[in-house]
Amino acid sequence: MNAIVDLDIPAATDGEIAAINLASACRRAWARFAQDPRRSGVAEEILDKEQLSAQFLGDLDAFDRMDALARQFARVENSPRAALVQARVAGAVHRFGDAARHLARAAKLGAPREAIERQRLTIAQARGESLETVLDARRRIAAASGRLEDQVPLGAVLVDLGRFAEADAVYRQAFHAYRDISPFAPAWVSFQLGMLWGELVPEPDPDLAAFWYRRALGYLPTYVKARVHLAEIYASREQVGAALALLQPALSSSDPEVRWRLADMLLAQGRLDESRAQLDAARQGFDALLKKHLLAFADHAAEFYADSGNDLKRALRLACVNVANRPTRRSIRLAHAIAAQQASRGTESESTAVVFPGATR
Amino acid sequence: MSDHVDGPRSIGEPAGDVTDLFAFTSPENPQRTVLAACVFPSAGAQALFSNTINYAIAVRRVAVKGLGDAAKFEAANEEIRFTFRFEVLTRDPAGHVFQRGVCELPDGRQLALTVHDEQGAATPEGDFRAYAGLRSDPFYLAWIASELKKVPNLLEHDNVLCMVVEFDTRRVLDPARGSLFGAIAETVPVQLRGNIGHPVARIDWVGRPEQTNIRLNNGALLGSDDLRDLWNQQTPFAVPQTLQPLFLQRLVESLTDWDMRDGKADWIPEALAANANVFLDDFLLFDVTKPITDESHLEIEKSTLDGRGYRTGGGRTVDANVIDILLTWLVNRDREFLQGGATGATKPGLNVFPYFATPNTELQTVAESVELAAAPDAVWSLIGTFNIDWHPLVASVGLTGAGDGQLRTIRTRDGREIVERLEELDRARRFYRYTQLAGIAASQYSGTLEVKPKGSGCVAEWRVQFIANNQPDILVRTMVATLLKTGLATLKRRFAAAA
Repeated sequence: MNAIVDLDIPAATDGEIAAINLASACRRAWARFAQDPRRSGVAEEILDKEQLSAQFLGDLDAFDRMDALARQFARVENSPRAALVQARVAGAVHRFGDAARHLARAAKLGAPREAIERQRLTIAQARGESLETVLDARRRIAAASGRLEDQVPLGAVLVDLGRFAEADAVYRQAFHAYRDISPFAPAWVSFQLGMLWGELVPEPDPDLAAFWYRRALGYLPTYVKARVHLAEIYASREQVGAALALLQPALSSSDPEVRWRLADMLLAQGRLDESRAQLDAARQGFDALLKKHLLAFADHAAEFYADSGNDLKRALRLACVNVANRPTRRSIRLAHAIAAQQASRGTESESTAVVFPGATR
Repeated sequence: MSDHVDGPRSIGEPAGDVTDLFAFTSPENPQRTVLAACVFPSAGAQALFSNTINYAIAVRRVAVKGLGDAAKFEAANEEIRFTFRFEVLTRDPAGHVFQRGVCELPDGRQLALTVHDEQGAATPEGDFRAYAGLRSDPFYLAWIASELKKVPNLLEHDNVLCMVVEFDTRRVLDPARGSLFGAIAETVPVQLRGNIGHPVARIDWVGRPEQTNIRLNNGALLGSDDLRDLWNQQTPFAVPQTLQPLFLQRLVESLTDWDMRDGKADWIPEALAANANVFLDDFLLFDVTKPITDESHLEIEKSTLDGRGYRTGGGRTVDANVIDILLTWLVNRDREFLQGGATGATKPGLNVFPYFATPNTELQTVAESVELAAAPDAVWSLIGTFNIDWHPLVASVGLTGAGDGQLRTIRTRDGREIVERLEELDRARRFYRYTQLAGIAASQYSGTLEVKPKGSGCVAEWRVQFIANNQPDILVRTMVATLLKTGLATLKRRFAAAA
């Protein structure tokens, strides 16, 4: 890791220890759930930890486990808690309609209003709905708590609204105000800043993005998404060796994007057979994810099939599924880009027939 | 929950969450005192200490400055401090991963440790010994506190990370200068920030059990703010004068509520205020010249508040029933002992160093499934009754009773007898759940069998969870996995696997 950790970073528990502790605590929480699924706070604790595993460790099987958790919990208890857990799980895999139904049920069962409103806000933000209203609510929540966990969604909605300088300021403020030692939260902010400067601003700054991705990895070497994005920057500078070194330790993750990017880099090195094997594995990985969680992975899979996956029609179908589910600026831009790509290849212009709901948002 | 999970910050970094503090006379050698602190509630088998936390146990000499309603314990400024620090992981040439640490002693010497090493470490002179690693959680809570309802131990099978230090009482504490002490444990982040961000505040500290989760954060006080993080960030032995009225007011409100949990007022306001004042000075009192037993916890405080001299060494042993002692004192002022739903933790403490019981084994899960080219109902009609005679390893089955609670006594082909109980059967969802009563050396053994539609066929899922009893997990896992795989393989043959 020393090669990529070249920064003076705020103190936090070593990322390897934190990842081990997360996995260890998660297993123990599952054991407690098995002893008594109704026990106060345990299902919610599992959900927190599984979400961290998915987000930071590239453990996409965590989504299956979350689904199982929601099912098992609902089986033993028809309660506001169970409905809220079901809503959170549905939201995590972008089944927003299901999430809304579970939230409505939670409200009927008497769940705390604040918990319901928080989830509704998250869904509205993920779907790109009423973003100005979401922004107001996010500002209120962030100002009241001052917690990093509330500042990051505020930054994210500013990004969604194209207010990049403000988003940058909010993220930096969150980073500097952090007063705890868990590495997950500052790694998250660092990654968001990497995304902001690497992909979301109109004129990306790859150097700055790389700085933040490296910082994210300084906190959490297991942060698969940060590895992938940083590797892409290295590869774009033809530093393929450095990019490969970043991706290889992430091969044990269940995120197919690792193998996709690795395949591209192996191809650039002329290692055709290895590249093909990785690409096949990536395709299988995306197919498996789409089979289980279509809405959660439609956007990433669309990007894959529009690129090395080499199936533009499928890419466009997936992009349209994504737009229908969450008509955000990003998802619409992705669908337009794929449609344009398809049109330029002169294939049958399915693209022109595509209607993007909410395209003006 | 003693001090487990006592605030948003410590929840965010469980390795910094101090769960309990102990002070007792060594069962091995009455000339020695043991101090111990535990962190990381519900720690998993691989749990590790943070490398950016100073874990400390500090002791100060204490004087009794008043009796009865004027009860007061005053701590001196001089401090005897033990600080544990841990490193990032180390790999040996064979690839084994382990964590090293040190215990810094009051005189500045450092005792090198390897985490989880049962032997711990000792100074060459033998005056200090220390241990750090995973142990069975000695704390037990067997109440739903809000309703004073007895339940089984809520921390059954939990583990925690423990730090233990044992030393020669006379040489280290010099009881000739005063034998009453107050102890605290704290987790303070190492300040490594340079010019980035703010200094990181203390994560957690503990004196007496339940200052935060029971006394300061009383769920019955509707609409009250959660003061736990604010409390945890204060400096032990030195809570600022400006904040003391806030905490004292909360303690009075909370103790008043606890007094009335049984519908009877056992505390007059003056005595209750005195009790709150004593709890405000939050350190674990122990006297090294008097007997510290499983029952002596809080005796020093209680006797002093009752206006008489204390008779025991107070402190807290590994097996002390601290919750019931505390609740009895708060609810009825020792009129009648409130015994919760458990009389001990998962495992009792040890009489030998490191005094805390070995960790509990983890719940094991074995899950197998098979996709079948058959209608779900067709498969369910075979396996959906609790009678498991379709299984090729089953020689015979005897059923007792019907519906939920039905028992099946299975005789396997290798002569084993297994007794299982039906807990839930949902025919509409093609699902049943059962527990094992006897036959396999495991506890908390439960299983589910379910048939779910998939495409034009179905998938049969069988899942078993258990804790292996006194034998390696792998042995029981192998046995259970064989049972599941063999059963599902026979379904594959009967119904044909899905393409």
